[in-house]
Amino acid sequence: MNSVLSRANTIFAFTLSVLAFLTFSCFMTTAFNTNAANITVRTSDHIVKSAFTPYGARADRGFFSLGLKADLEQIFNWNVKQLFLYITAEYESENNKLNQVVIWDKIIPRGAKSNLDLKTIKIKYPFFDDGQTLKGKDNVTLTLSWNVIPNAGLLPRIVGTGNTVISFPNEYTR
Amino acid sequence: MELILRPGSSSMVQDYHGQKLAEQIFQAVIVVFAAVGFVWGYYCEQFVQTIYILGAGFALSCVLTLPPWPIYRRNPVSWQKVVDKSEMQETTSAKKSKRKERSK
Repeated sequence: MNSVLSRANTIFAFTLSVLAFLTFSCFMTTAFNTNAANITVRTSDHIVKSAFTPYGARADRGFFSLGLKADLEQIFNWNVKQLFLYITAEYESENNKLNQVVIWDKIIPRGAKSNLDLKTIKIKYPFFDDGQTLKGKDNVTLTLSWNVIPNAGLLPRIVGTGNTVISFPNEYTR
Repeated sequence: MELILRPGSSSMVQDYHGQKLAEQIFQAVIVVFAAVGFVWGYYCEQFVQTIYILGAGFALSCVLTLPPWPIYRRNPVSWQKVVDKSEMQETTSAKKSKRKERSK
């Protein structure tokens, strides 16, 4: 503290300690948020095709259109940078107890429109089955989940309430 | 930098009381700015505002406490008078002669 440089060093170190405390406090103000929201997922035009995966294996491939309603505005607060939304299709098959396929995702940055009302969107990623069991499958569950990306703190993964169970027709579409 | 602020004279540094006062001042300034910034950032839901206000507190405390302002120089250290060299020699020689006497 006797010279200018040592005072500058002390002030800077003290400021950084205070900043660390503030950042942790910011996390604590949002640590107990549920980050929950009600969502509605609708689908239409379910078809299933017999196709080949990029690796040359024959596999069933599902197609459908999505509609999505989700009001995520109340999730945003001063400790949220962005939301990462994704829709997974989950079902059971003979080979696997649980298949999980991510078929669509979206990033909502801070300040962007977060009250979503998407009428008809195509699924974003190919929905390949592991094998040929998708034809006639009648309990494929679609779930919308999201990660809350914070400025500081934990990275919560939230599963939206309001699952949609869809089925695929018994015939392949050519 | 020190040389510029202290051109050969010890009266241009903060004395010990001044250093204590400087530390108290910058801690108070930064903590107050941090508290205000936290409330304001929470209110307008922008954590970056909190960081900006803390930065303003850092800048203000630098201006207030980095230079040796007169307020930090009110209790200068009082040094002993410079001892005359010839006197010192006399005293040492006197001691030496005493020792010689004792050894005899």
